[in-house]
Amino acid sequence: MGSYYDVDAILTDAQKVPCTFELTVPGLGFVEGNMSGDMKQGSKVELPLWLGEMLALSQSLNTSSLVTLDPPAALAPRVLNALKADPRTVDLRALAPHFYNLGARILELFEEEEMIEVLSETFKARASVIADQAHNPRGALGEGADFMRGLDENERQLFRAAHDSAKAVRTWMTDLKKK
Amino acid sequence: MALPLPPGLTPPEVAFLCEMELVTVVPRQRLEGLALLGGQLPPLNPPHRTPLPLWLALLLKRQRRANIVPPPWLSPYSLEAILDHEIKHEDGFSPPPRLPHLPSNSLPFSPPFLPSSTADAAADALPYHWLELGEMLLEAAADDFEDPDNVRKLLRDLREVRMAKLRKGVEVLHAGGAIKMNGVGGMEVGEGRAFVGGVIDGLRKIAASREQQRKDRDREERENGYPGTAEDSDDDMDMQ
Repeated sequence: MGSYYDVDAILTDAQKVPCTFELTVPGLGFVEGNMSGDMKQGSKVELPLWLGEMLALSQSLNTSSLVTLDPPAALAPRVLNALKADPRTVDLRALAPHFYNLGARILELFEEEEMIEVLSETFKARASVIADQAHNPRGALGEGADFMRGLDENERQLFRAAHDSAKAVRTWMTDLKKK
Repeated sequence: MALPLPPGLTPPEVAFLCEMELVTVVPRQRLEGLALLGGQLPPLNPPHRTPLPLWLALLLKRQRRANIVPPPWLSPYSLEAILDHEIKHEDGFSPPPRLPHLPSNSLPFSPPFLPSSTADAAADALPYHWLELGEMLLEAAADDFEDPDNVRKLLRDLREVRMAKLRKGVEVLHAGGAIKMNGVGGMEVGEGRAFVGGVIDGLRKIAASREQQRKDRDREERENGYPGTAEDSDDDMDMQ
């Protein structure tokens, strides 16, 4: 997904996900902060998504996978319930700067029909608020400042697109008067 | 990131396209017919109304050599009726002008080649370039309107109502869904494209895994020899 140089995709993959080690790995304790020790079986570590995914999917010869992956805290059931209740009040940026991209990557790994539904509904409900905010000349200074601060990176791009096109039309109209 | 411009047309480009629309002018001076790339223009004889492309009409208007007759849908009465329709019917835009009936063997015409802004255009519908044309005429030829301030106000109202509808349309979207955009004008498409396109892209990204699953399942079914009902047409296409 995305191009090799897509900064947003790289940042998405750098977000941490909780992983549980299924095997004891000698000398890997430094990941956990235990400088000279071993990584014990069953210890939980936060690893970047790209690393966790590779370790979880690689099947070595005789064992099952090295680690098991859990959905990150940003996509925990508690968050999904909050989104179901009211998508507009959740601060997605605090959960994960690339919330939807992270969701899409997680959905590639886990089969969660419900999460697709919740994320789509959230995105739609928030998109219409974003459109209103982008169209409102008072912009982020008005009462929506909190909402605007909680936008994730995708939503910011959407806001910028909507804002720029509305501005382009306004600029054209004022240029017309100058002629 | 290669192109600094977003896909679609910028407002000046839409306005440029709008300038080929025909409008009716009342010339004040004689002018020989002009042979232009778009075809021969009729000669201008002072009291006779003549259809001219908007760019030429605006040029003559600025040189005070002609007056422009505003199209009938730009009258306060028609605009009020259309605005009323827009407010009452929340699900959908006011319909575009009806296409004229043509003999069955001739090729159908579509909006850019239909005179939808001349003095004898339909009064009850907004053509494709309504916003651009209205703004440009109000700017260059405000003295040819009976009540330019009222027309300007009504155009602003219409724009607000219709853009609000376009924004609300995204709430009913889903990854494979669509908004009904019949009757949306050129400038509105240009303005809404970035936002609506962004929403659809985002939704598809979220539901990408589901789409992939469906494709995999379809392929499996086909390979196992249980073609689903949806694949029948595809298989037929492959055979041809």
